[in-house]
Amino acid sequence: MHEVLLFASVPAHQHYELLQQLAGLTAMQPRHCLERRLIFKAYRKPGLMAGRTGASQDIQSGDLQRLNKMLNGSMYYTQVVGPVTEKDFGAAIDSDMHMDGTDEKPEAYRYDYEHQPWRLEFRDIPEAGTRSAVTSRQMSSSSLPSGDVMPVMSAWGYNFVNEHVVEGDLFVHNEIVIFLQRVLQYPTDQEPSQPRQQMPPLKDMMPLEKSGSYVLQASITVQDGSNQETMKLASQHLFGLREQLKSVIRLEQADRLSLDTRAK
Amino acid sequence: MSKPTQEQIKILEQSRQRLVQLTRSLGSLISSLHSSDPLPPWSSLQSQASIISNNLLSVSEQLSEQRDLFTSLVAYPSPEYPGRTQAPTLEQLLRTKLDPRVEDWVARGRAAGSDNGPSQSTIPSPSRLVEAESADHKLSEAELAQLWEWAPLEANQEARRRNWGGNYTLEEREMGIENVVTGLKRQLEDDLGSDEESEEEDEDDGKEEMDIVGVHRKSVGGGLEFDIAVRHPHPVKPFVPLDDILKYMTTGRLQ
Amino acid sequence: MADSFTLPLRPLIEDRDRPDTLPAEIAQINNQWGSFRDVNEEVLRTKIAEEYKDDLDEDENNKNASDLDSTERLEQLYKRRKDIIDFATQAHMEAMFAVDFISLLLSKDTPRQAETSMSPFLKQIAPLGSLNAEVVNPPPKPDSTTKDISAVSRGWRIQNFNGAANKLLQAASRLETEVASETRYWNEVLTVKEKGWKVSRLPREKQALGVQYGFLEATPIFRDRGLASLRRAENGSLILDKGLIPAKARFVRVRVMQDGQLVGLSNSTTPTNDEETIESRILQARDTLYEEELFHELVREARATASYGVTTRRNLIRIPASDNLEILLDLVDANENDPQPDQDISQNGTRIAEGLSHTIRILLAYAHRQNLHRRTLLPLPLTPRKRTIPEHQLFRPALAYIQHMSHVLWLQSFLKDISGVLHSAALDIPAYTKHVFSTRLTKTSSTPTAEAVVERFLVPFESTFSGKLLTPRGSFSIAIRTYLSSPPFGTNFEVSCTMPDYPDSKSPGRLSLREEVEAAITHLLLLDVVFTTSSNGLPPPKPEKDTKENPVWEAVYPQHGELVLSSSNPEKHKKIKIALSRHELSLQTYTVRCIDGSGRGHWEQPSQTPKHYTWGTPLACHQSLMAVVREASS
Repeated sequence: MHEVLLFASVPAHQHYELLQQLAGLTAMQPRHCLERRLIFKAYRKPGLMAGRTGASQDIQSGDLQRLNKMLNGSMYYTQVVGPVTEKDFGAAIDSDMHMDGTDEKPEAYRYDYEHQPWRLEFRDIPEAGTRSAVTSRQMSSSSLPSGDVMPVMSAWGYNFVNEHVVEGDLFVHNEIVIFLQRVLQYPTDQEPSQPRQQMPPLKDMMPLEKSGSYVLQASITVQDGSNQETMKLASQHLFGLREQLKSVIRLEQADRLSLDTRAK
Repeated sequence: MSKPTQEQIKILEQSRQRLVQLTRSLGSLISSLHSSDPLPPWSSLQSQASIISNNLLSVSEQLSEQRDLFTSLVAYPSPEYPGRTQAPTLEQLLRTKLDPRVEDWVARGRAAGSDNGPSQSTIPSPSRLVEAESADHKLSEAELAQLWEWAPLEANQEARRRNWGGNYTLEEREMGIENVVTGLKRQLEDDLGSDEESEEEDEDDGKEEMDIVGVHRKSVGGGLEFDIAVRHPHPVKPFVPLDDILKYMTTGRLQ
Repeated sequence: MADSFTLPLRPLIEDRDRPDTLPAEIAQINNQWGSFRDVNEEVLRTKIAEEYKDDLDEDENNKNASDLDSTERLEQLYKRRKDIIDFATQAHMEAMFAVDFISLLLSKDTPRQAETSMSPFLKQIAPLGSLNAEVVNPPPKPDSTTKDISAVSRGWRIQNFNGAANKLLQAASRLETEVASETRYWNEVLTVKEKGWKVSRLPREKQALGVQYGFLEATPIFRDRGLASLRRAENGSLILDKGLIPAKARFVRVRVMQDGQLVGLSNSTTPTNDEETIESRILQARDTLYEEELFHELVREARATASYGVTTRRNLIRIPASDNLEILLDLVDANENDPQPDQDISQNGTRIAEGLSHTIRILLAYAHRQNLHRRTLLPLPLTPRKRTIPEHQLFRPALAYIQHMSHVLWLQSFLKDISGVLHSAALDIPAYTKHVFSTRLTKTSSTPTAEAVVERFLVPFESTFSGKLLTPRGSFSIAIRTYLSSPPFGTNFEVSCTMPDYPDSKSPGRLSLREEVEAAITHLLLLDVVFTTSSNGLPPPKPEKDTKENPVWEAVYPQHGELVLSSSNPEKHKKIKIALSRHELSLQTYTVRCIDGSGRGHWEQPSQTPKHYTWGTPLACHQSLMAVVREASS
């Protein structure tokens, strides 16, 4: 699958109005979304190291080079995304219940990490040199088993890097998904080596962008990215939206390198 | 018989200047009429007409103020004038007889204004001078003079009592404009006497104004149309550039 | 003269006249109105009012005339323009003469300045300073001249004041009407808004206001028609722009035909409102739009259900509903007086028509909600293929309902008949229980109640009949299921039974034809009767007799209703043959001669003329079946 996108930075003061305007434009109520996003990075498996350089210039070229490229090329950052609700933040984890003997109210809400659903979201680096003024990249999305994703991910050769939360409102405008979002960081400095079992209260989460600005992302997924007609149509839809919103916000193609998912 | 004094020449010079202005403004009206099809914008026509009218007034004032001089001044050609070859032009310049059309105009004025003129009694005036009188009553010259002296001042005063523009009525202003529910998001300025044109939002509003002068025909915004121009007192620019945020979302690092 | 400049309250045409010299205007006024003597405020007011009325009439009467008018007006416009230019040119010429004159006069004393304003022509022919001036003592002017001048001046002043006053009055009354019109217009707009209608600018025409009366979730072609502009009539009243609005109120009419006769008719949903308020116009527009969309969707659905025998022809949808019922749907004018005779209309027919009429409308509203759900879901990836929106379910659920009810009623009457037959033979089969529309709905908490209620209507319908049989612990159940919205389409009957004492008996299973069902149940009951006869057909054995020797009526061929009472005498086997149908139970008793009495047909060899008994018919036997059997046993 492919994805074509446009982005815009939305200053904090414009956020509320933009929400209203998008609600008017799409004729729907915003759908509030909270997502845990775990960043994983592929690592080179021992034994699959690319050939050392320098030994012989002859061997370096040709097959070895191609192999090297392929292996390097397949190293990506990838995301594991899990939908959560506001209640999940600051809730006790499920396993606590058995541990302490205090009489907790049975109806107290608990965050159940063991049943947290996840999906693996892969994005390639945006295509270079396209003449079209949209960001276009290959993508795939697939479900993962619920609960702890670490075993699965490390089996596939991925290391856990970091995690953050994305909060925002989602609109659907025909084929276009409009997501007005911001990144929330966990309040600790140290980086854990694995996903959290428990989440702090939402109010303790800190926006990455301290001024409170949001990012507007408009995207269309395309089944077959090699179909030029469909890709063109998708771009045109996005340009149509850009035109409709042009007096409010400037939707643009993102810097290709800022969306570079290749692991170096 | 004497040569005009320096002072008198100065007066003549003033008249020349006023006449020159009148000619120019007439000339400009003609050229603007010729250069537009069918007509120049009504506002421009109106302002030209008003300029011409002012020029006429200024010439006419000069004529009546310097009446003594002009009635006693006699012009005649000097020997240098090529009278033999250019007699018609000279005649044209020195002509005192009125143009037939003007003559006609004067005649009609005379008819209307001659003693017991036909129309003076039916002036539909709210004036106190006539309200108690019967309809056939004819105003004497003195009464007319009195009326005319009174009327312009009164009309002017009446006009001054009105506010001929602006966003609020007198009534609303007395009530306090902050209590007026306009239904608009933007603030209306209480622009007493400011120029109407300057507050137009849309460039094409000008044409619409023709029908209803001074009444703004503006639709209430709403629906899917956005009134974007909402100003924020303290807009804050994001600190982290968009690219860096996307980078963070992709790799979990800002760098 | 300068005073004649009036306030800028005139329409364009007046402004054009502005540079016109007053003579022309006065002459025109004199021509048109006669002398000013006759002009007063009242006359002017009536005149204005008349003109205003004329304008209105013209506007209303002939729209074509406006085209003619515009060319005429254009001609007039150019004529006036020429007049203006002529007058201005003449004035310019005269003024030029004056300038030339005074310039030449001054060229003697101030040649440099004076030369600048001399016309090129004059410069060419007259040398500078060639005009002299002398100040003389003129003879005093005669009194008459002074008087004449003042008369002329007074005359014009009077006329000009008159003119100015007239214009002010006209402007004032014009303003007054304009203000009244605007006030009226905005008040009506406000009224519309206060009634809850969404009023907004038109997307394509930002100067105009529009009212949104359509349905956001309607099919796009109907959704986009749901906006009408609110224009201002000359007198300020609100006009709903006719461009997109259906001119007439229309509605989808439901007719129910029974055996080709009209038996039910739905009425127009909107009360015909003679009062032409804007509100009622908007309502009518909204309703008609809804009705048109409804019919559009009904036609779509009808085409998709052609396999049921639904036909569409010339804006008429014919739906065979059940048995002898047919439903007709068409889009008709709401005020059309239906000349149909009333006598054939039955209460039941009307109820079906009205019910169906409400159902399809509710279901369209439900479809709108579904559209919203669908539209706001995360979209599927874009593909070159266009996605088709499935037809809404509008009449199918109602059709399913009607079919289902028809089957239920049929089964009910069948069971009544056949149990009546059994009762008349004193076989007291217990009353069955029935659950009509017993479908359970799995309630999802997220669905709003309104939608949940409608959803009940969209799932397959199920009704169950169950009861006990005559045989101990025997029972039967029949489930009727009707699917019209999902496969398997149509109605099926699931008939099952348990007769623990006779394990050989099998449930007939899923059937789809009424004949099959009738046969299956009849057969089931026949078995029941046979087994009952077999176990109860003899008088209770006498205690002194040996129980082992007790003979029994053996159900040799239960499926054929045959029982045999074996006798020690091979010639005297007694036999009973029972037959059951919906209307009749019959029984034959006779003796047979074969070895064990199990022979059938030719092998049966009846040794005696059979005795016939029947129940359920007019010539019914008055004894109970059991009594007859006992009698036969002895």
